[in-house]
Amino acid sequence: MPNKFYLEIITPEKTFFRGDVESIQIPAVGGDCMIMAGHQPMVFATQPGRIAITADGTSREAFMSEGFIEVRPDATIAFSQAVEWPEDIDERRAEEAKERAEEMVRRNRSAAEYRLNRIALQRAFARLRVKHHEYGDK
Amino acid sequence: MADITAIKHRIRSIGDTHQITKAMELISVAKMRKMMDKQAYSALYFDSVRATVKDILCHSADVHNKYTTPRGGGRAAYVVIAGDKGLAGAFNNNVLGLAWEHMQRYPVHYVITIGQMARAFFETKRQPVDLEFTHAVASPTLHDARGIVRDILDLYDKNLMDEVYVVFTHMHSSSDYAPEIVKLLPIEEKDIKAEVRATYSGDLCYDPSPHEVLDVLVPQYLIGMIYTTLIHSAASEHAARMVAMSSANKNAEKMLDTLGLEYNRLRQGAITSELLDLTSGKFFRESAAQGGQRKE
Repeated sequence: MPNKFYLEIITPEKTFFRGDVESIQIPAVGGDCMIMAGHQPMVFATQPGRIAITADGTSREAFMSEGFIEVRPDATIAFSQAVEWPEDIDERRAEEAKERAEEMVRRNRSAAEYRLNRIALQRAFARLRVKHHEYGDK
Repeated sequence: MADITAIKHRIRSIGDTHQITKAMELISVAKMRKMMDKQAYSALYFDSVRATVKDILCHSADVHNKYTTPRGGGRAAYVVIAGDKGLAGAFNNNVLGLAWEHMQRYPVHYVITIGQMARAFFETKRQPVDLEFTHAVASPTLHDARGIVRDILDLYDKNLMDEVYVVFTHMHSSSDYAPEIVKLLPIEEKDIKAEVRATYSGDLCYDPSPHEVLDVLVPQYLIGMIYTTLIHSAASEHAARMVAMSSANKNAEKMLDTLGLEYNRLRQGAITSELLDLTSGKFFRESAAQGGQRKE
């Protein structure tokens, strides 16, 4: 029986997830990470990507936009602007966002804009891949 | 004494206005509740962002972001948040007055307005408005906040200003709200109001580094600041309108009462005089008829 820890995922609009889990995989800026019970207290910055929450042996995926995760001894709390289950992702919107961002990256006007558009593109890609469960195939 | 039809007219028009103010009050109550719910959710999120930013700035003195380094000039920019509509008591006047007063201290200042009333105010004061947003006030969304932050950072990155202030109405409770000024940029530790986290006070590690975590957090922090100030403003506006409308309702009821009394008195008077006319007419005709019979 693996150890569990208390996880909360919070967005500005709602509390997305709350409960005891065995592990959570997160798209940290420094690369994907898996957090399990008893982790050292830490704050991770994350980029848009997939999270996988494992509880009671079953794993669920979700999309998470940029944000940060705080690992504390008593609780792990993830903060992000947007977190969505695959079934809640609006595929058409993500597709449109992808095309828009690609177009903007191509125009490539300034460094700041490039950075913004790259993140937008990353977000759109991550949404689409979570929607189509493509992360597992890698 | 006023004409009876004129009074009837006034009663009808006041009744209509009363209905409108009553509806506006109910709408304001509902909208204020909605805003306060939104505020409760977002506070949870952005308070943590604030606390973490503060924690990083507090513990790692060597970590710097271009938005946390003071520029040391005296050029200020003001983001002034007011309502889109009037009829909200002194709400707009209070916040705009505070902004105007604070502005006089800085020789060079930029003005960014959010809401129609703010723009109209600066137009009458002959203060050019550099950037305006008019759609974000009624029901602020994160998307609006993101757009506003992006445009402000655009100006800030061009080195047009050294400090950015936000002037908004802070809502403490539904009956207690007051205009306030907060500094948005540069982000300094002493300006961040965050409660000390109670659950864990040990040192936290930052992955990959405090610097990179700060880079991710700073935009979130700014978006959060704008979003919360927008929501506070919207909630206060509705609270102010609610109070204004309820006093308008009371006045309308009072006016309807006195007008109703006067109307009834006039009507009664008219009926009495008509009756008098009728009876006296009848009396005279009868007496005239009797007089005729006598002649025959």
